[in-house]
Amino acid sequence: MNRVMKARLFKIFRYAMLLIWSVIVAFPIFWIVSTSFKPDWEWHAWPPVYWSQEASWANYRAVWGREESPRTSTEAETKTARYESHSANKPWQALWNSLYIAITATALSVAFGAILAYGVSRYRILSEIRMFQLLVLRMIPPIVVAAPLTLYYSAIHLMDTALGLIIVYFITTLPYSVWMTKSFVDEVPVEIEQAAEILGATKWQAIREVIFPLIRSGIVATFLFILILTWSEYLLSLMLSKVDVVTLPVQLAKYEGSDEGRVYGHQAALAVGITLPLMVIGIFIRKHLVRGFTFGMVKR
Amino acid sequence: MATATIAQPKGRRSTRARGVRIFKWSALSPLILLFLFLMPVFLLQIYFSLHSWTVYLSTWFDAEFVGLELFQEVLTEGRFWRAMGRSLLFAGLSTLGCFISGFILALLMYKPFRGQAFFYILFILPMLTVPVVIAYTADMLLYEKGPINGFLSYFLPGDLSKFTWLANPDIAIFTIILLEVWNWTPFVFIIMLAGLSSLPSEPVEAARILGANRLQIFREIQLPLLRPVIFLALILRFLEAMAEFPKTWGLIQGGPGTATETIPIYLYFTTWVSFDISKGAAMSYVVMVIMIFIVLTAIYVLRREKRAIDALHETSRTEA
Repeated sequence: MNRVMKARLFKIFRYAMLLIWSVIVAFPIFWIVSTSFKPDWEWHAWPPVYWSQEASWANYRAVWGREESPRTSTEAETKTARYESHSANKPWQALWNSLYIAITATALSVAFGAILAYGVSRYRILSEIRMFQLLVLRMIPPIVVAAPLTLYYSAIHLMDTALGLIIVYFITTLPYSVWMTKSFVDEVPVEIEQAAEILGATKWQAIREVIFPLIRSGIVATFLFILILTWSEYLLSLMLSKVDVVTLPVQLAKYEGSDEGRVYGHQAALAVGITLPLMVIGIFIRKHLVRGFTFGMVKR
Repeated sequence: MATATIAQPKGRRSTRARGVRIFKWSALSPLILLFLFLMPVFLLQIYFSLHSWTVYLSTWFDAEFVGLELFQEVLTEGRFWRAMGRSLLFAGLSTLGCFISGFILALLMYKPFRGQAFFYILFILPMLTVPVVIAYTADMLLYEKGPINGFLSYFLPGDLSKFTWLANPDIAIFTIILLEVWNWTPFVFIIMLAGLSSLPSEPVEAARILGANRLQIFREIQLPLLRPVIFLALILRFLEAMAEFPKTWGLIQGGPGTATETIPIYLYFTTWVSFDISKGAAMSYVVMVIMIFIVLTAIYVLRREKRAIDALHETSRTEA
């Protein structure tokens, strides 16, 4: 009896705690989604409006709609004019930049990381201490090299280019890709490879036909994990882009009216657009998130 | 670490070793090239920290040489050390907050129960949002007559519509810490959940048979076994929190005044708002030295704990 009571009490306690935390987690997410459907008079209303009375897609149309702001003249298109037209209505441009830069940098990082990881796992081409030293790339805040990096990039004309951002994203995500793919390669027994070679396969064939299919899902998980990191990166993008390669997180800051405060509804609509794909990806690879964030040290 | 050299007939060994060497250097060469390509960044950093230059002056290469003056300026500046203190406070408290809430959630959830998958997916969502989005969402939520105060006034007595989360310099930093906790509790949560569910079951069973109660089992058996995972979570979280930039900058730019000015914010401010490139460079060096010291300590601990975790995985694998 006593034990049954205790178990039941624990059950109630657990659901109560989990519900409280659910509210804490869900409230901001709910709020930004609901704001994205509100007309402007409900953004600041007091008492707060939870369910919009006049929900519409207006904010989404305003942000993601394809109306181009009319061009004044091509002659007078100075840098400032371009800046203004970009900041006004360019989420699609930002979306394209984000996609292009994040996917390219991630693909490079994972491809290169996987090769290194294979070498480390099988032939120790980097010693254990070197592997840990690799983590320094991630652990030193990137802000400490920000100023010289910007000047150097301006000098060699990499400022405000996709290539410039791809290079820094490649470097800063490399520790994750090497460590994470290594943890997948480590799980494939060496014996399988040996067996293939004894049966007459070349090294390359063994890798292509035996190892790669076994770690393919791991590579995909690594790719998606690093995509999350590069997609949401803010600081480097803020510093190394001006006009041409503004990414979505930086674009978000541009919906700030000068005197009427922030344009909440539009910001919310853009924010939902940025975040939704991340959540979908994240939920899709939820089993591998632990491995990613801990550099493959903790598995599930 | 699963390392093994593949057994080969004796005659082929040297060819094999050469192959590995070629593979090693061709795999590493892009990295080395990239490093050489970025070398000038570090040289520029040295140059600027020793010369006084801001963007308001003429060309940067004929700036005045000032020796270590800028370092002296940074090291004796109260604002810098206050920012450092704030960074440590921010990182320390937010790590602690994330750890407590994440660990409690993991403890409540590591055994299967109805709704486990649902709660798991819900709880990892904050980690999957873009940090800048959190900043702007917080801006929509936290003003005086805002939704959070409105929502809380259902439960709490008093007039909450006067409570300022961001405008009050004494409170603002804790608001930012709360945001960080909201954002990264899932990080600790998933790590601790993985740690708890990979614990071997025998010691717990044995202790239960010997008459230990829940608390004793937790303190004497589960906690020591979890130590490496706990260290890992704390260290990684602390380091990430030291570098936190998007939420603080996107929300209040280190304000009100300098109340939430952490090291990344102050560095950014010096370089991109005051355009004092040289002072920023000198400060970067000071920060880098401090961070390298912290990171090397962290790596030392991580290496030790990594071996313990691997051993743990090994036992749970042989058990299964």
